[in-house]
Order: sequence, then structure tokens, then C-alpha cells
Amino acid sequence: MTNKRKGQAAASDSGTAVPFLRKHMLMIVGMVAGAVATLFITQTMFGGSVEKMTGTASWQNILLVNGLVGACILLFVVELRRGAIRVLLTVIVALLLGFLVTFIFNLDEASRFERGEFRVQVISEASPVDNDAVDLRYNRARGGEFNKPNVVEPVSEVAWTFAGRAGDVVSLLAYAKNRRSPVDMLVELRDEAGLALASATSASELQVDETFDDLVSSKDAVIEGYTLPADAVYTLYARPEDISAATTYSEALNQSRLAFEALLLGPIERVNRWGVWIQDAITLILLGLSFAIVFRAQQFSLGAEGQLYFGALVSGIIALNSPNVPSVILIPFIILAASTAGFVYGLIPGALKAYLGANELVSTLMLNVIATRFFEMVLNFQLKPPTAGYVASEKFTANAVLPVIVDKTQVTIAVFILVVVVFLAWLLIRRTPLGYEIRIIGSNLRFADYGGVNSRRTIMLVMAISGIVAGLAGMHLANGIHRQLILNISFALAFEGVVVALLARLNVLVVPFTGLLYAYLRAGAQFMERDANVSFEVVRMIQAIIILLITAEALVSFFQARQKRADIDEEGHAVAALEVADG
Amino acid sequence: MFENVIDGIFSAVFLAAILRVTTPILLPSLGALISEKAGVLNIGLEGMMLSSAFTGVVVSAYSQDWFGAEVGTTVGPWLGLLLGVCVSLLLSFVLALFHLDLKGDLFLSGIALNIFGSSATVAIMFELTGDRGNTSTLASLQMPFIQLPEFINDIPLLGGFVFGVFDNQSVMTWLAFIAVFVVAFFLYRMPIGMHLRAVGENPEAAASVGINVKRIRYMALLISGFFAGLGGIHMSMGYLQLFQRDMTNGRGFIALVTPSLGGGTPIGTMVASSIFGFFDALGIRMGSLEIPSQLPQSIPYFATVLALVIYALQRRISQRVSEMRTASGAGFDAQFWQAIQRISILHMLLMMFAVIGVVTSGAILAAPNGFGGAEAALPAGLAIGAASIALIIMGLPFVSDIFRIQKRWRESAAVTLVSLGAYLSIFLSLFVELPIALAIGLAASAAVWFVIGGRALVGGK
Repeated sequence: MTNKRKGQAAASDSGTAVPFLRKHMLMIVGMVAGAVATLFITQTMFGGSVEKMTGTASWQNILLVNGLVGACILLFVVELRRGAIRVLLTVIVALLLGFLVTFIFNLDEASRFERGEFRVQVISEASPVDNDAVDLRYNRARGGEFNKPNVVEPVSEVAWTFAGRAGDVVSLLAYAKNRRSPVDMLVELRDEAGLALASATSASELQVDETFDDLVSSKDAVIEGYTLPADAVYTLYARPEDISAATTYSEALNQSRLAFEALLLGPIERVNRWGVWIQDAITLILLGLSFAIVFRAQQFSLGAEGQLYFGALVSGIIALNSPNVPSVILIPFIILAASTAGFVYGLIPGALKAYLGANELVSTLMLNVIATRFFEMVLNFQLKPPTAGYVASEKFTANAVLPVIVDKTQVTIAVFILVVVVFLAWLLIRRTPLGYEIRIIGSNLRFADYGGVNSRRTIMLVMAISGIVAGLAGMHLANGIHRQLILNISFALAFEGVVVALLARLNVLVVPFTGLLYAYLRAGAQFMERDANVSFEVVRMIQAIIILLITAEALVSFFQARQKRADIDEEGHAVAALEVADG
Repeated sequence: MFENVIDGIFSAVFLAAILRVTTPILLPSLGALISEKAGVLNIGLEGMMLSSAFTGVVVSAYSQDWFGAEVGTTVGPWLGLLLGVCVSLLLSFVLALFHLDLKGDLFLSGIALNIFGSSATVAIMFELTGDRGNTSTLASLQMPFIQLPEFINDIPLLGGFVFGVFDNQSVMTWLAFIAVFVVAFFLYRMPIGMHLRAVGENPEAAASVGINVKRIRYMALLISGFFAGLGGIHMSMGYLQLFQRDMTNGRGFIALVTPSLGGGTPIGTMVASSIFGFFDALGIRMGSLEIPSQLPQSIPYFATVLALVIYALQRRISQRVSEMRTASGAGFDAQFWQAIQRISILHMLLMMFAVIGVVTSGAILAAPNGFGGAEAALPAGLAIGAASIALIIMGLPFVSDIFRIQKRWRESAAVTLVSLGAYLSIFLSLFVELPIALAIGLAASAAVWFVIGGRALVGGK
């Protein structure tokens, strides 16, 4: 409903005579994008089969959530307009840089062909020669491990002797011990003088599949059917094959491609992975809202982490102490309590800033540490069952856990709570006197003071209100996802909330989209780490690059000039909120 | 138990520990000071420290491969220092570029650099060692430790103490404290330092007299990156001998406050950093008490918040006094008002102790099992909480309104006597019998009150 009004307002600048399509252009683009995204996600999740979808438990709710994802995209397009292109471009550029980093990290990927357990064998139908001084006998395998990591003197080549008679037909095999060993072999037959008589670097498919049972893949090396020229002691020389530059780059590229495939498609491949994405997104969106609200007033409070811990602690303690209260009463009570905890813990730095002028950046960072330590202390000494082997509270009873709406995941009614919170945040910022004051303070504090705004009270309140949302995020982590209190419950999510808020340009209606986007990257990073052995931290580097690029106004001045005008028409501060005066 | 802690605090070992833990706060603090003086506070110190700490460890470990074991062990640490600082400089250059040339927000770019420093170090560490937590598999080196000549130990009276404090300190510790004076010289005695301060105070005015504001700010950010780099090197190659994920643990953020707590001067910054060092070392030492380790661990962070509050309150009061001074002109009794100011600071400090009391009681009430079980801990927690709240209620009027100290000086004296007396007697009761401790405590607090300002109040007006 609200979006429709926005769409009309946006289009009304260009006059009434424009045709319908032009007038509702933004709406249409947004709706198409949203619908396509919804369809694509659903299609990928169920492999395009309707039977599979209807066969999945609670598929209606999955569809509902995917519909909400589409709605978030619609809001994103309608709210940011051209800014949307910039946000997407930034993310794409950062992803490309991330790909480059992954590529560089994977440059040593090809070196795995130089490592691993191997076997060599001299195969012959002739009867073995009796000679105890040599290393190998016909048809007996011998092996070792090349370039074993963390060894003082790793084996990098072997030269083993065997005795042969003139006319013996021998085949020399050098192969990986099993499929897990990636080593790429090279084998040579040398005579007594050390001259190479024959060499090989690979095996044909026929040899692998039929001729020799022991071979594992075509990377193994075979010299087949060599007739020995004389009675002598020969040497079988084997080592890992040299890696060409082309192999190095193609392997690195291949691995990076695999990693990014896992990153970009991993989260929507299966229902449980999709659940990880959505549940993370709920936390991130709440945190993003918290930052968006407080940054709106130009208060650089980073207190969300501490408020989150307090919210989680309070809701956890209530959950642990009320096993018999019916869920209908308990859950709303927990929500209320968590918001209050966040409010109070946000009020402290708010009051310090408003009435004493204490730097909110520093005070909130310090309060974060204090809250974390307090949480650890209470958890460790009070909530942990005495017999527990690790630091965690008992599991909450079912009545204190947010009801799940999609089976096999932790997607809970928090989805609906989130919708309400987003609506209320929008109401607060755009439709209440307090929100108006927040926006004025954000664009010009001095002007706000002249205009009669009680800026002290507003600054204090805005920091406390952002605390409410962060407290709810803590409640979601405790009662929705972990269902118990654990150490490190936030996993340093709070800083990621900063990115979510910034990407959304501090617009509370866009935060749901950027939260989903960012949670998608995070979930993808988990699967990337699992599937492709690329460190999760690469995604945090991408995050840092996103922040740098999104704040660098001059980098995108050709977008900025036009967009600034549009934003000021609309709200008068969206861009201003990002432009902090020096010092 | 307590005696051990107390004894430990008054020893040369403890002072040496303070110097050691102050260094990684002091070095970035100097960087923060210079960047703040130029009006471009460097938020990215934490990330710069992490990246230089990591680079130093890696370079020093690999230099043994590059140059052979013998040359490597002597050259390695210094090469690590050099390259570590270079990486830190590079990051500060990126920050300067994004803020000054690409018009990015300084605060957010700094946050981005922190995230980058934290994640890139872990990602590269994972690539190099396959470990996410620390670099214990790398044979990294330490910066040299400076041994004092033995004869100092033989000097009578203080020789042994001085030797105990300063012997075997890392070269980085010496560097840090020497750097304080270098920075002071730079800021106050060199033309470019004056330009830097001018840019920070009023960029437009500085520009109008021909100072290149952007160039000065570039320089300030690079210098702050340089000091952050040195601090990072000390973390991984002096304080510890390895790199741990996020090992700076908020020191880069603490460094942002110390300059303002130290009144914006290098010496003040050094004092403020040492206070943090003291609390840090105290937290480590209190680990031997049977209380949850989280409580002493959070002391430095509490201290920061409280210091911020005291600083803000104190600034406001001196502002009011200076307003009065301009208003009343020649009839202004400066000494009298200075006495009042000193008493108000005393009230603030006492309040802060009471706040710590409230927090401690909160901790006890929240987790009584950590303090020896519910029966023993709950009454103690309640008592501490009630007493602290009572002290806060008594002291609050004098903190919020300094004229009250003048009007009702008897009450002010009584409040000081009760609260300071209580703290002193509790402290003394660790050493002597309770009645004697009480008597000495009350007498001492009365003396303190009288000396710092009570004299002027009793004397007249």
C-alpha cells in the first residue's frame, strides 16, 4: 500500500500526461524483479518440480517467505531508485575483487598434485629374479608418500632398483595409492648408467579401466610392455610430475569457480540451507534496522552487540525459569523483556552522549565488551548446569522456543515479528514527530537546536530505541536459533549489521533487502568453506571492500549528482546522513 | 589471597608488567593523538595494528628460510618491523585516499579497514598455516630485549628496584616512551607540527594562510598508521611471540580515547595510557583471586567509560568557572574556585568508585555461584549495592552542581568523609585491625579533604 503511494509520488514529478506504463515504471520494474527472484529461488530449491514442492512439509510457508523476499526486492527498487543500481554495482565489484582474492589464495591449489601417497610396481609375466640387493621384485608394489607436509625431509622422488633379464617384457606403473591421494605421477625406466630408457607421465583410459587393476586415474604413469635389452639391474625412477603454469592457473580458476558457485547458489540448493539463509537474515535485518535508526540521527553508536547480548541474556533467563508457562503468554513476555533490556542498555550511552557529550563510539564499544563479559560470567557461573562439559545453558523447553513455521529449519514466527518491526521502524522514522526530529538532527544538529528540537532527549531516545531492535535480535538468536544460551552467541554479527544499514543507505524499508543480500553472502560463505575449502574470512574482506566503496562518494559522482537531487526531494537527508563533516 | 594481590601491586615486577602492557596502548595512542590534532581521527588503528602484527610474525618466521638460520634470527625481527610498518602505512594511505580524495566518510572507512585487517590476517593465516586461531606453527621471532648493565642493580636504595622495573624490557617499550618526547617535539617545536595543529583547530583558517590542508592530513594519517604499526609489532613480537586472531583486543579503540583523557598532549596521553596499562596489569593479577575472571577483565573497559564521564563533567565545570571568571572580572577569587574544582573532582572520583560498587554488586547478584555460593554472596552483594547506591545519592548533588559545594560545604565535607573514609578503611582493614583501620581511614580522608580545598571553604566565604 505504502509502496504504491511512493510510486505515484515519484512519478507525479513528470506530469500527468505520461502514459500509465511510464508512470508506474518503478513499481513495475520492482514487481517484476521481485516476482522473478521469488520464482527463481523456489525453482532452484525444488529443482523445478511442482510435485517435489508440494511433497515438502510446510511448503506453503516456504512460498510465503519467498514471497516476502520478493516484496523486499520490490521495496528496494521503489525506495532507492537509481541508488539501487549503485548498491548492486558495489556488491558486484566487491564480489569480483573477492573472486580475485580467492584466485590468488588458490594459486597453490595445483601443488596438491605434488603431494600424496603413491605406489610403484614392475609388472611382468616372467618369473622374478632372485637378487636380494635390489629394492623391487616383479609384481610386488612398493610405496611411500611424496612431499608429506610438516616433515623435516619430505620425499620428493624415488629411484628404486630391480633386477631384470634380457627379453623380459615389463610394465612400469607409478600410481596414486587411492582416489583421495591427488598426486600426479611421472615414471622413468633407467639403465645401470642412469640413462632414461623410457618414460611416461600419464595412463590411457584403457590402461586405467582394463589392463591394470591398480591404477586410479589417468594422472598415473605407465610404461607398458617394455622389453628389457639385457640382464642387468634397472632403476625405476618416479616423482610427481612438474606443474606447468597453465595447470596452476586453470586449477586456481577452477577452484575459485567452484567456491563462487557454492557462494552464489549454495544457500538455495536445499531447504535446510535455505533455512540457514533466512534465519541469519532475520538477525541481520534486525541489527541493520538498529544501526539504520541510530545512524539516521548521526549518532555513531556501535552498541548493538552489547544490547544484543543483554537481550539474549534476559530472554534466556526468563525461558530457563518458566518451564510451565504456556507459550502464548511466555513468548510475548520474552519479546517485551528483551526489548526492555536492549532499551535500557542503549539508554546508558545515549544519556552519556546527550547530557555529558561522551563520545558514543568509544562508550558503546566499551559497553559492548562489558556486556559480553557479563554475559559470559552469568552463563559460566550461574546458568551452566554443573555437570555440563562445555559452557552453555540447558536447552530451553519447547514453550519458550519461537514456534517453527518451516519444518527442518529454524525459520520461526520471527519472520512475522520482523515484518511488524520493519513497519514500526518505518512508522517511527517517517510518520512520527520523534522520527522527524531524528531526521533533522541527522541532517544538521545546529539547525535542529535552533528549530526548537529537544536534541538531547532525542539523541538519548534514538540510541535507546535502536537498542530495542538489537535486543530483539538477541532474543531471536537465543530463543529462535540456538534455543539455549551459548558463548559467543552473536558471532560478531553486529558489525555486519553496520554494512546492512549502510548498503540500505540508512533507509529502514531497504534494510530487509540488504539484510537478505548480506545473509545470502554469509550463508554462501559457509557452504563455500565447506564445499571448496576457501576461508569464510574472504567474505568479510568483501564486506570491508563494500563499505569502502559505498562511502566513497567521489568514486561515483556521476551517479551521485542526479541521485542526490532525487533523494533530497524525497526526504531531504538520505544522502546527507552519509556525509559526515570532517572530524 | 588479597594480601598476595596487594603485595604484588607494590612490586618492581608489577611496574615492569605495567610498562609492558602500556606499550601496545601507548604507541597507537600517539598515532591517535597526531591524527586527532590534525582533525582526522584514525578509527582504523585496530586493523592497522593487526595487519602489521601479522606481517611482522610472518616475515620474521620466513626470514630464517630466506637468509639462513643465523642471519635470519638477527635480521628477521627488524625486517618484520620494517615490512609490518609498511603494511600499516599502506592501510593508512588507503584510509587517507578514501577519506581525503574520494570523499568517503572517515568513520566508516576506518571501520572498513578494521574489518579488513581482522579478516585478511585470518584468511592469510589460514592459507599459510591451515590454522584459524594463531600462528604457533610458525617459528616467529621477537624484537630484542634490552638488558641493563649490572651495576645499576648494585646502586644502594633504589638501584635494585629500578633494575627490576627497566631490565629486560622489549626495545619496543623503550621506543614507545622515547617516542612520546619525539612527538612532543614534533608537535610543539617544529613548524610542520604547528601547521598540523592549525589544520586540526581550524582548517579554513589554515588554508587561508597557505597551509596545504590535504597534504597535512595525509601526513597525519600516515604518521598515525606508522605508530599503529609499531604497536602491532609489539603485540606479536614482544608482548607475545605469535599472532593470534584479533589479538589487539580493542586496544586500537582504547587508543582513541587516551589522547582526550590526557588533555590532548603527548605527556598526558602517556599518563592516560599508563592508567590503562595499570588496570590491564591489575586485571591479570586479580586473576589469582577466586572471583570470575570476567570481572577483572572488564575493568579497563569500565575505566574507559568512567574516564569519559569524568572528563566530560570536569570539562563542563571548568567551562562554567571560566565563564564566571570573565563575568566577575577583577573580583574573581581564582584560588578559591580552583579549590572548589578540586573538591568537585574528588566527589566525582568517589562517585565512580560507588558506581564500580554497584556494578560489582550487580555481578554478585547475577552470578552468586561465581562468588562462593548464594548464601554467602547474596547478602554481601546486597550490602555492597545498597551502600554504593546510598553513596551515589549523597554525592550526586555535589557533582551536578558545584555551587552546592560552596553553599553547603559542611555536607560536602561529611559526604567526602563517609565515602572516602569507608574506602580507605576497607583497604586498610586488609593490613590492620578494623577499629584502627577505621580511625586511620577517617583521619586520612579528613586530611585529604582539608588539603585539597577544604581549607579555603572553612576559612571564610
